[in-house]
Amino acid sequence: MTVSSRWTPFMTLYIRELKRFMKVSVQTVFSPLVSSGLYLLIFGVSLGGSIELGHPVSYLAFLIPGLVMMSVLNNAFQNSSSSIVSGKFSGDLEDWKISPLRESEILAALALGGLTRGLVVGIVTFLTGEAFYYFINGEWLAIAAPFWLVLFLFIGGASFSLFGVTVAFWARTFDQLSAVNSFILLPLIYLGGVFFSVEGLHPFWKLVSRLNPLSYFINGVRYGMLGISDVDVMTAMWVSVASLVFFYFIAHRTLSRASYARW
Amino acid sequence: MSPLISPLTIQNLHKKYGEFSAVNDVSFEMKAGEIYGLLGPNGAGKTSIISCIVTLQEPTSGEILIFGQSPHRLPLDAKKYIGFVPQEVINHGYFDVYEILEFQSGYFGKSKNKEKIDYLLHRLGLWEHRNKKVKALSGGMKRRLLIAKALVHDPKILLLDEPTAGVDIELRLSLWDFVLELKKQGISILLTTHYLEEAEELCDRVGILQKGKLLTEGPTKQLVHKMTKRKIFLKLRVDSKTDEKTIAKLQHPQMVGVHENTWEFLVSPEKGIGELLDELGLSTSAVLDVKIEEGSLEDAFRHVLGTL
Repeated sequence: MTVSSRWTPFMTLYIRELKRFMKVSVQTVFSPLVSSGLYLLIFGVSLGGSIELGHPVSYLAFLIPGLVMMSVLNNAFQNSSSSIVSGKFSGDLEDWKISPLRESEILAALALGGLTRGLVVGIVTFLTGEAFYYFINGEWLAIAAPFWLVLFLFIGGASFSLFGVTVAFWARTFDQLSAVNSFILLPLIYLGGVFFSVEGLHPFWKLVSRLNPLSYFINGVRYGMLGISDVDVMTAMWVSVASLVFFYFIAHRTLSRASYARW
Repeated sequence: MSPLISPLTIQNLHKKYGEFSAVNDVSFEMKAGEIYGLLGPNGAGKTSIISCIVTLQEPTSGEILIFGQSPHRLPLDAKKYIGFVPQEVINHGYFDVYEILEFQSGYFGKSKNKEKIDYLLHRLGLWEHRNKKVKALSGGMKRRLLIAKALVHDPKILLLDEPTAGVDIELRLSLWDFVLELKKQGISILLTTHYLEEAEELCDRVGILQKGKLLTEGPTKQLVHKMTKRKIFLKLRVDSKTDEKTIAKLQHPQMVGVHENTWEFLVSPEKGIGELLDELGLSTSAVLDVKIEEGSLEDAFRHVLGTL
């Protein structure tokens, strides 16, 4: 029997997004496991012993929340942007445009799809980190503040998923998409404090880091997982919420002016 | 939905791409349950009109109404009525045929639409291929999938943009049979095609476009009647070398050619064979054989475009 509901178009697109990344789960979910494992092995285990942080935790413990957040942000961005770009290429986007899907539903489904993939990969990365931590320390890494951890993971993942929507609808070529990835996304992530504490930086770079919204996402997650952070957690939360609003605004604006025509 | 409301009304539609005017002040209205053909050479504006109807393009000005509602201003109300078969095949990447139809149905607000999906898969010969990805389908199957997608949410108006382009003759004929079946079910159909013979066979009414302008429109038969002439071939019992008196009679203003003892006349569609013979002053006993060729939509098309 056919079922019709107000939520059907949105849920259909969201389920499509889930199926899309799960069909290539080796590439989308399990491949990041290898890169996280290598980061943990090289930086966390091998070099970690010789790194002084100025925080009362080991470098391996310090690294795990950074890597988790990096995975969430990266995968949330990749999911929504690759879905749109491949849709532009194959013509799928035309199906969305001619259907009664609202722009708000398209935006919400893509953002939620990216967030879901980000969280799945984030959980896989966390479990990998926990395994390394247990192997080195003989005990599990306890989560200090679960509420803050979940909050920052959701805000960060949703923000970068929306950013992916913005960039993919804006881009007119693969080159433009890859330029944003290489020249904006990667520097923001790597300079956001995944591998180091902002406290140890030169004042100029400390200022640069303060202007990077990702450092607030990453420090928020670090606070949630370890109870330590380079920035005040309330400040991190407000900056993160403001970033989410900003990313939503630009994604909505881009989508309302977007072309659904194929490349 | 009142049966009196037109499934599609287009009023003073303009579509410009920069300075180029692809659609220039086009107006027409479809009647419920009819097949309306939009005909024209490449670049006439057919696809631009359809793209504006399905909201892939924003009209520069003018009004489009689907059962009285604008798909641009009231998309949720108007779009559910439309089924669209585009010219180009959509690839859909990782998804198989069944999933594609489930998604399409869901976008239009219908989930668990198994009965309809199964019906379309069987009816369009795709059931055995339901678990295949698009890239594994033949050209004809891809075309049929586009049609299944367009019908999965039970639209009231179907827009077919060159649905048989590049399709073999057998599949083309079966698709036209299916189109007629849909018409019987009460679906109004707007189609663009280059196959004028088929348009003549299928379309209740046609509109002929050139360079973005609708040059003429009307019931197909009337248009052919109005825009074409009938060819009458008279094979006579005369010796063209000796019977000079009879041959002189055949020098009629509507005589356009002669081959051995067969004379060709181009006359208005109303003129019958008897009337022509009277005008020529010939008796039926002088006639050995008669062949009549009615005008075709292709003749009308070429006449309207000024190429005849």
